[in-house]
Amino acid sequence: MIRFLVFRFSQAALTIFGVVSLVFFLQRLTGDPVALLLPETATEDDIKVMREVMGLDQPVWSQYANFLFDTFKLDFGFSFVRNAPVSEIIISRIPETLKLAIGALAFSMLCGFPLGLIMAFTARRQVSKWLMAFVLACQSLPTFWSGIVMILVFGVWLQWLPTSGTGSLSHLIMPSISLGLLSLATYARMTRTAVLEELDKDYIRSARARGVRTARLVQKHLLRNSLVPIVSISAIEVSQLLAGAVVVETVFAWPGLGLLTMQSIAARDFAIVQIIVLLGSFITVSANLISDLLYSIIDPRIRP
Amino acid sequence: MTKEVLVKMPFSEGRAFLALFLKGLAALFLACVCLSAFAVTEENIVIDLSGEPASLDPHVQWNPSSYYVYRNIFDNLFTRDNGGKIVGQVAETWEQTTDTTLKLTIREGIFFHDGEPLKPSDVVFSIKRIIDPEFGSPQLGQFNKIVDAVAEENIVVISTADPYPSLLAQLVKLSIVPEHIISKVGDSKFNDAPIGSGPYAFLEWDRGNMVKLIRNEDYWGDVGPFLRATFRSVPDVATRVADLRAGTADLVVSIDADFAQQINSGGTGKILSALSERVGYLGLNLEKPPFNNLEMRRAASMAIDRQGLIEGLLQAGEVPISQMLTPSHFGFDAAVPPFEFDVARARAIVSTNQALASSPATLATSPVFDQRIVQAIQQMLNDVGFNIAISMSDMPRYLEIVTSPSSRNSELSFGRWSCACQDADGVVYPLLHSSSSWSRVKNTHLDDLLEAARSSLDPEVRQEAYNQVHQIVREEYLMLPLYQATVLYGAAVDLNFVPTANESMFLNRMRIIR
Repeated sequence: MIRFLVFRFSQAALTIFGVVSLVFFLQRLTGDPVALLLPETATEDDIKVMREVMGLDQPVWSQYANFLFDTFKLDFGFSFVRNAPVSEIIISRIPETLKLAIGALAFSMLCGFPLGLIMAFTARRQVSKWLMAFVLACQSLPTFWSGIVMILVFGVWLQWLPTSGTGSLSHLIMPSISLGLLSLATYARMTRTAVLEELDKDYIRSARARGVRTARLVQKHLLRNSLVPIVSISAIEVSQLLAGAVVVETVFAWPGLGLLTMQSIAARDFAIVQIIVLLGSFITVSANLISDLLYSIIDPRIRP
Repeated sequence: MTKEVLVKMPFSEGRAFLALFLKGLAALFLACVCLSAFAVTEENIVIDLSGEPASLDPHVQWNPSSYYVYRNIFDNLFTRDNGGKIVGQVAETWEQTTDTTLKLTIREGIFFHDGEPLKPSDVVFSIKRIIDPEFGSPQLGQFNKIVDAVAEENIVVISTADPYPSLLAQLVKLSIVPEHIISKVGDSKFNDAPIGSGPYAFLEWDRGNMVKLIRNEDYWGDVGPFLRATFRSVPDVATRVADLRAGTADLVVSIDADFAQQINSGGTGKILSALSERVGYLGLNLEKPPFNNLEMRRAASMAIDRQGLIEGLLQAGEVPISQMLTPSHFGFDAAVPPFEFDVARARAIVSTNQALASSPATLATSPVFDQRIVQAIQQMLNDVGFNIAISMSDMPRYLEIVTSPSSRNSELSFGRWSCACQDADGVVYPLLHSSSSWSRVKNTHLDDLLEAARSSLDPEVRQEAYNQVHQIVREEYLMLPLYQATVLYGAAVDLNFVPTANESMFLNRMRIIR
């Protein structure tokens, strides 16, 4: 087990290091941030001064070494685009993205599980087909489109919900639904498949034969046993939600990490992009690592 | 097996689950809806910007999302009135005492929001701060002609390295910051909670989301009509327009003609527009075929239907131009004749040297520009026999291409230029002087004219030099000016706001219509 742990932790650390290094060098191939920061009328001297201030006059390897050393010391640098320390900016955005991710996950689970159950119980009936069509539509809708349509219907026409921004629970509804639609479809389909598989098993038939009512059957047996594969996909869903947040946060002006990522890439704010990538790869790799470790505990055969 | 089990599951139970699920969903939705409130009062104006202010320190970042906010917190040395005329703000009177010195009398009775008076030493501190290379202001290039500033009683004397005729136009952008605060708290904390002397005081900055200001009741000038102002960051234009239509925003920026039509047809807002000092143009690489040939440049100009681009695509009241300036710039020459649109003649010119015209050429552009215009221009040029391909790259890469030497530069580039100074020096010097990385032109006579106009304080001498510049550019088709761009805002119907060519947004110049 210890050998396995050491192997997996080393693999995870190497993956994060690789991703961050790749992004560090790729960013520097995509254009000069100084050109964006300065007005068009800036002279060569102005550009030179700004490059010195930002440390971009140093050789790339030297910048890379400084970045690694500073990151190791948990000094994440300074954003010259936003004029604030990177750690302050990122910390201020994390709670907003967490709120959105939790809202989306809650929506997708609260709607996905019951929909999956209903689809399983009504399989081969018309209701199930309609619900499956709805679920497929949720999976196929581009997030930016569903977001804009919701804004138009619930924000502009009906004026039930705020069109953008943050502040109250009502602000969270549309972004959560928009972001959660894709996961809803995944949960609904996974639940349907898992429940159908369970329904096929002997213990269910025995329980039914003993006259156990459906509600009790679901509560006591079906849900618990069907949840295993569903919970295991949640790690992947969290990564998907973080990726989807980039679009949703832009459409709904939600001040989270997704919007920050998009704006920072556009502005070539190297310092912020690097740390967001580090954070994103850390979350994704950690989720997968935890998932692998849990699997190895459940099924020791997968250990090397 | 599954079928057997399913048969045992009564359909009514599945339906009951569905009903329960829908009821639960409706209850959750209604509970949340009840918590929302829509109260746009005249006590608070909500303005949707396309981005978050990068900085509230006026000496740091200089982009619209930042200066829309901080220009309301700070007073500048000078400002432009709604007609575009330079008028004193912190500077009450001014006099050019020598070719290189400007004497300013500082207005008395201006107070910072902490109650301290604005002193001439604050003006000197502000100037020295922004020209200090170690401070690293992105605005340094606009003020680096200033070499010194000295305060004596209520007088400040500014010295420049050389005669600098556009000094006043640049000083319009210089905000006065409090020395006593910055010396005490430092640059970073000052940016977090700025203190100025403007018509609105800083209240709160919810990073990434919004900035709130509150009216300065003791302002020396016109007091603002709103008690509070909220500037929100809403990056998506469709969302900004939705905010306006839903009544959750009173003023939205950066919209195009398509969204303007939506706002007009919705009846919940109105469109405010003004011709800006921005110029849409085509840059030509004069050292690469086909545009190293004057006749080819002439043919390209004749092939472009400027009026058609405006009426068919832009549709926001833009105006065709034949020089790189607009009437709002000093140095504009109303006598420059318009470019002719004549497809038949363009084809005829191209047919005389088809081999040259059909040499492959790229048109560099970036997603921030209106791609409909770029594609239409490509089509118009190819229709007469050119062989133009569009090369799209994001802004940093685009800037790298268009400021690289001619050998690495594209044959054509689409651009929109604004110096935010309304002076020819900020436009034609960087675009045409051989020393500038933006320029593709190597013409010593043109360089002499640009330098003469830059170093003379006599407006007539400058105007004459610029007239000749425009004539040379027009006759030799060194660049192809296309149109004077329009700035569009969406506003609540009861908001009175006059957009200006320099795209300023002063809250205390707005009014509520009752």
